[in-house]
Formats: sequence, C-alpha cells, structure tokens
Amino acid sequence: PYAHARIKEIRTEKAMGTPGVLAVIDGKTLEQYNVHNMPTLMSDTQMVLPLDTVKYQYQEVAAVLGTDRYAAADGVAAVEVDYEPLPVVVDPFKALEPGATRVRDDKESNHIWHWEWGDAEKVDSDFSNAEVTVKEQIYIPRIHVSSIETCGCVAKWDPIETHLTLWMTTQAPHAIRTVVALITGHLGLSEEKIRVISPDIGGGFGGKVPAYPGYVIAVAASIVTGAPVKWIEDRTENLAADSFGRDYHITAELAGKKDGTLTSLRFKTVADHGYTDAAANPSKFPAGLFHICTGSYDFKSAFVEVDGVYTNKPPGGIAYRCSFRVTEAVHAIERMADVFAHEIGMDPAEFRMKNFIQPDQFPYKSALGWEYDSGDYHRALQKAMDMIGYDELRKEQADKRARGELMGIGISSFTEIVGAGPSKHFDILGLKMFDSCEIRIHPTGKAIARFGTKSQGQGHETTYAQIIAEELGIPADHIKVEEGDTDTAPYGLGTYASRSTPTAGAAASIASRKIRDKARKIAAHLLEAAEEDLEWETGKFFVKGSPDQAKTIQEIAFAAYTDHPPGMEAGLEAVNYYDPPNLTYPFGSYICVVDIDRGTGEVKVRRFVAVDDCGVRINPMIVEGQIHGGLTMGFAPALMEEISYDENGNIHGANFMDYLLPTAVETPRWELGETVTPSPHHPIGAKGVGESATVGAPAAIANAVVDALWHLGVRNMDIPITAAKVWEVLNERGAVLEE
Amino acid sequence: MHLEGTVNINAPREKVWKFLTDADFVAQCAPGVKEMEVIVPEKKFRAVASVGFGSITTVFNTDIEFVELEPLDRAKIKAHGKAPGSAVDATSELLLSNGPEGTTDLKWTAEVAVVGTIASLASRLMGPVTKKLSGVFFDCVKGKIEG
Repeated sequence: PYAHARIKEIRTEKAMGTPGVLAVIDGKTLEQYNVHNMPTLMSDTQMVLPLDTVKYQYQEVAAVLGTDRYAAADGVAAVEVDYEPLPVVVDPFKALEPGATRVRDDKESNHIWHWEWGDAEKVDSDFSNAEVTVKEQIYIPRIHVSSIETCGCVAKWDPIETHLTLWMTTQAPHAIRTVVALITGHLGLSEEKIRVISPDIGGGFGGKVPAYPGYVIAVAASIVTGAPVKWIEDRTENLAADSFGRDYHITAELAGKKDGTLTSLRFKTVADHGYTDAAANPSKFPAGLFHICTGSYDFKSAFVEVDGVYTNKPPGGIAYRCSFRVTEAVHAIERMADVFAHEIGMDPAEFRMKNFIQPDQFPYKSALGWEYDSGDYHRALQKAMDMIGYDELRKEQADKRARGELMGIGISSFTEIVGAGPSKHFDILGLKMFDSCEIRIHPTGKAIARFGTKSQGQGHETTYAQIIAEELGIPADHIKVEEGDTDTAPYGLGTYASRSTPTAGAAASIASRKIRDKARKIAAHLLEAAEEDLEWETGKFFVKGSPDQAKTIQEIAFAAYTDHPPGMEAGLEAVNYYDPPNLTYPFGSYICVVDIDRGTGEVKVRRFVAVDDCGVRINPMIVEGQIHGGLTMGFAPALMEEISYDENGNIHGANFMDYLLPTAVETPRWELGETVTPSPHHPIGAKGVGESATVGAPAAIANAVVDALWHLGVRNMDIPITAAKVWEVLNERGAVLEE
Repeated sequence: MHLEGTVNINAPREKVWKFLTDADFVAQCAPGVKEMEVIVPEKKFRAVASVGFGSITTVFNTDIEFVELEPLDRAKIKAHGKAPGSAVDATSELLLSNGPEGTTDLKWTAEVAVVGTIASLASRLMGPVTKKLSGVFFDCVKGKIEG
C-alpha cells in the first residue's frame, strides 16, 4: 500500500494454508537464483521482487502461485507484510532539492542524468538580441497506454528437454528472448533453449515493449515447479504498476522578430522517471528523440536540456504511441508556436507558413542536428485550411466573441521522426535496430513471408503482403505473413516507434527484389534468352520486343524447384536485414475547432481536420484506421486522461472509473486528408503512420482552447483540459456565465 | 488529511474523560467496530473495524495507543490500521476544557493518512466519508455521555 516503505517481514504461512495455493515467492526466493533484479534498457536496475524496500504504490512484493486465478487471489489477500513507512518523494522538483529523501539507496541523489544538446552560447546571444521572446511552463502529464488486453504470459519449462516456451504479449519477441537469456544465462537458460511466441496482441502502444517483473516470476516459477505458469495482470495492476508515458515538465522559450520570424529555441525539462530509469528508449540519447523539438520550423539556433529524476512512482518513459519523446517535443513546440503568434498578434496559420522549412530546403539539417528526409509543410497546412474553411471560421469566431461566446481554432503542424532506426543512433543492448523479412516462394507460386516485427492489430498481414505483391506480382492473398515466433521468424527488433514499414517493410521490398534477381536468371534459362534482354512487368518477365515470350512468377517459381539452370541452387527464397540509412519524418497539419461552455467549462470539439503525409500509402484503409485510432488516443490525453498522485504517493487513476478513456460517445468525427511526399531513402517511399495522430492531436486541441481564451489573458493550459480546469480559469477572470 | 471539530457535552469533565479513555465505551461509538481487545489497560488496544467507502468495504485491523495522557485535560492517540493492500495512520488529539454552566468543551483534531487500494480507488470519497464518520462518532459520544 505504501509508496515508500521498508519491508520488516513477509509472513506467508496463512497464504500457504489457503486452498489451491501452491507456492509463495518473494524477493528472497528469487535472490537464491540471482534473478531478484533485472537490468533496464537504460542500464538502470529494476526490482523483480523487493528484498527490503518498496519504492512505489502497487509495486509487486510477493507472488502467489495457485491452481486457478481465484485461489491465487485468495492467497494474495492472505500474505501478511509488515512495513515501516518511509518519507515519500512525489514531486520531481522537490526530489531535486538538497536534503530531499533519496528514492534510491544505491544512488547519490535523485538526479539520474543531465543531458543537453545544441549550441547554448549561440542561443543565449540570439535570445539577448531578439525583439520578441516568449516563455511558458508546460506540463505533459503521466498517462498510461491502457491497452484493452493487459500484459500477461504463460511460461512452460520442459525439464526433460530443458527448454522454455514463453507465450507472451510482447511487441519485441526476439529482443525479449535475448534479454531473458542474458538475465538467466547463469542458470543454464541459453538462447537456443528459449522460444518466445507472441500471439495476437490486444494493443501494445509501447506498453508491451518492456520486460515486467511478472514475466520473470512466471519463468522462475515454472522452472521451480515444473508446471506451466500463467500470469495475467488485472486492470488495476496494469494501470498502476506497468510503465508509464510522458511526465515531462518543460520550461519552453522561443525568440524571434516582431515580423513573426522565429530565430531561436531553448527548452529546459525535468523528466520524472519514477523509481528507476526503465524508459523504453533504444536511442543513444537519454531523452530519446526529444531534440526533434524544433519541429517544422527553420530555427537558426536551439538548445535543449533534460534532467532525469527519481521519484516514488513506477517507472516512466514508455514511448506511448510515440517515438521516444516525440510527443513531448511536438506538444511543446506547437503550443509555443501559438503563444508566439498570439503574442505578436499574428494569425497562427500565417505565422506557421512564414516559419516552415521550405520544400527546397530538404534534405534539411535542423539546428539540433537531425537530417529531415523530405517534407512539404505549406501544402499540408494549406490543404487542412481549405478543408475546414479557415477564413470563414475566423470570421465566425470574431462574431461569436463579440457576442461573448467562446470559440477557438487550434493548429498543429507537426513533424515526427520515426522508423528506429539507423544503427548510428540506435541499439538495444548493443543490438542494432535493423528489421527483417524472409520470403519463401513455394513451387506453386504461393509464398510465406516471415518478419522480425510483431503486429498488435496494425494489419501487418495485409500491408506486408501488399508490398510483396507489388514487388513480385504474386496476389496478396497467396502470401502468408507470419510474425512473433522466435523459432521461425528472422531476428528483428519488434514493432513500436512506427518502425515496421520503415524497417521491415523496406526489408520486404529488398528481399522481394533479391527474389526477382534470381527469378530473372531462371526466366532467362526458361526463355533461352539473355538476362539483359528480359524486361519485368509486375508478375512476369518477357523478352524485350516480344511480350508473348514471357514467364510468370508462378511458372518461374515452379521451375525453381523443377527446372532451374545448371549450377544454380534450387528454391526461390531470400532474406533481408534492413538497417535504414536515416529515420523517416512523417508530418501533417491538424486543425481543430472547439466551443467552450461558459457555464460549465466543458470543451466540445466541433470539428477536427487531419491532413497527414506519411509518404507513399501502401494500404489507404489501414492508414486511415491508424489515424482514426491515433487521433482518439491524442484526443484522450488532451481532454481526459491523467495519472496523478497525492502527497502520500497514492495513485489516482488506477481504474477506468478514475482514468477516463474516451468512448465513441465522446470522440469527435474525424475528417481526414492527405498529401504524399515520398521518403527519398525508403525503397518504396513510405514513412510510417502508426503514431502521427497521437503525437500531433493534443497540441491542436490545446491550441484551440487557448485560442478561445487568449483574450481573457490565458496563455497556456496544461492537458488534460478538463471542464473543471476551464471553469476555474473562467471563474478567476469573472467570465463564468451564470444562470 | 486534517480534520477538527468541537463538541459541547453536557457533563462534567471527569465524566467525559472517564468515558473517552474507556475502550469499551469508545468501541460502542466508533463506526464499524466489530471487536475491541485491550492489550495494555488504559494504554493499548486492538480493534477490528470495517469501513466502507462507496461500494468498497475493507476490514482494518487497528492498533490504538494512548501516547500522551494528561488526565482531565488532554489525550493524544495514535492509531495504525492494516487491511490487505491498504493502511491507515492517524494521530488524534483531544482537548477538554470547561464549557458554560458546568458543561465540557471537547476540541479534537486528527491527522489521517490513508494509503493503498482504498486511497486510490476511493480518493474522491475519502474526505466526505471521513468527515461523516467523525461526525457520527462524536454525536454518539455526546449522546451516550449525556444520556
């Protein structure tokens, strides 16, 4: 129950006496095998089960094995623990004060790391020479991915074969297997003895990337008992003890000219990581890709600082439908762009158009060192403005304001950075972040394709099959796509960070092209022609100038097993491990219209237009599905979701009564548009779209609310913008409409 | 969470003091108390009490101790309650003074910290429920002493 306490004693006798309870495992049990702790991706330490102290409320203290879920639950209730409460550190700013209670006994202080990037001196001088500067405190609260399916696994240890099969809902089965082998290698559990199978998953959103204590306990319990052990979180365990996203306190400053030209950016951030730095961050930067925060604008200089802090909360740093702090970066820059525009009395759309990176500047090197692959930001924003009727809305807003009605228009012209990633910037425990595709064409021209990624409902089976179909001319329904089984799929780093299409999708193209190269040789043999005399048209090779002399891919596939050229190996298959040369930079412009009820403070999203540019669209329906879901997951934290803690470290939001998810009733109608600016370095020009909408939407909504309230002196409102918060703001300014 | 209040009881201080330091009497008024056991007479007690917050009811095993006793004037009480996944710590002070016309004024304060499942599931109800329960308790105390 405590957010910070010493464990005086754990008494298990009563639990062991509960019918159906087989065993009770605590930290001391695991210590015998040296698996009571596990390393995090950020080279920190995470407890599997504690030996002597608990560091956050709802931390696992002991595990009860029962013959069924009910027996185990009764056993859990019967475990008696004596605690000695310790002072609790909830606020990361207080955690940094001298003399603050230390969250971690093994560390000098609550300060985990300091990271800075950019040219501080140039920024200081640009700020002191600036005609206009603006500054705001922006808090992006802790939120939870709350997948409909919680985390869970079944561990089955076979003592005869000395082999472990682990069915688990992981987004990264191969990486997890390597991690399990590294953690348990000293027990003889080496990688070839572990098979991780990730079946269909009910939502991931980054929350199923980390290794959680439950997985390790299930494995240990199966080895000790010799029986298969199942662990499934209940809803509260999932919401209260899994890793969280966001929790960034940003002091954001922009500098520029009175004419609206932006020159310089300075962001200083305190990042609340909870009791251990377990951020799901495979980049070489402690704050992930936060330095994409110059966004869509041509800054001359920029400087960011981030300080990671320990508090008595569960680990933070899940990249919730976001490539490692991109959401935080986008929210801050898009909020600040509006603050700057309003400050100088310029229309926020005109202001953005003025400061966008120009189409002819791509590939564009940002002030913080990223090389943007391609973009056309003016076109996307113009399209969104045309779709929503921007000028008329501004007129309507002016009329309404004159009548005392509150209406706001918010824009978010975001640039993402996805597709992790090039090995120069990324690795997981040294593993480079390529991804893979292995294609085997059967004699009858059907195919199986296996990938190192793992779909959680994104429709990989369709998208990948379409890529191969396009490259080889085999109908998509003749291609079986398989992922998630480490014994059969080629090694890959998994699915998150919108990386599947940029990496494994590229691998599918390259592997298909390798197959086509071999197919050309076979076709030349069959047609008794020279290879260079053959031409490819989707699905067949034909002799130049005589299209009747052709061999289809199906005929070639059959020949690969029956009549291949002398000296050539039989079969028609290929594998590709694709290490992308650069990240991809999807972008878009969202415009949101809100009406605010002056009596209750309720914000109603009246319209929301989303123009996305994710490069070439492989399957438009899947892309739109991703955007619909993503927008809803951006709408939710903007207006509803927040995980907060009281001063004792009690979590607020550990159930769906307190942690509000939007249903179809609250969700606005989304109006989608598109522009297509291909990625120049991806084999088929695709950029990835899984996260754009979640990243871009919150700022559009927050900007619309502040736009409605700016004339009342409101410069910023932190999300979630609840009716209570808005009412408070209206009330302070005497703007509440009484009955 | 800080709570406080004043009750005027139509009885002399000796009588009020005697009742308030009598575990059996207190048990009659404390809401939800099912059992009360004396560990050290007039000093330490153990109570089993069930407390409901909305739809959630939890049984707390509570250790209660009079940590400071200044007869007829002041008492300081500490309590620590445990339930599966939840805990409560409370420190309460009772101050007695002469009221008008031979009555007694009882001024009380309490610092209550609730942690765990109850605190996170019923956070919105915690304030009102705790206020209501203390009101019920002191009304009962007043009624019993006066009656």
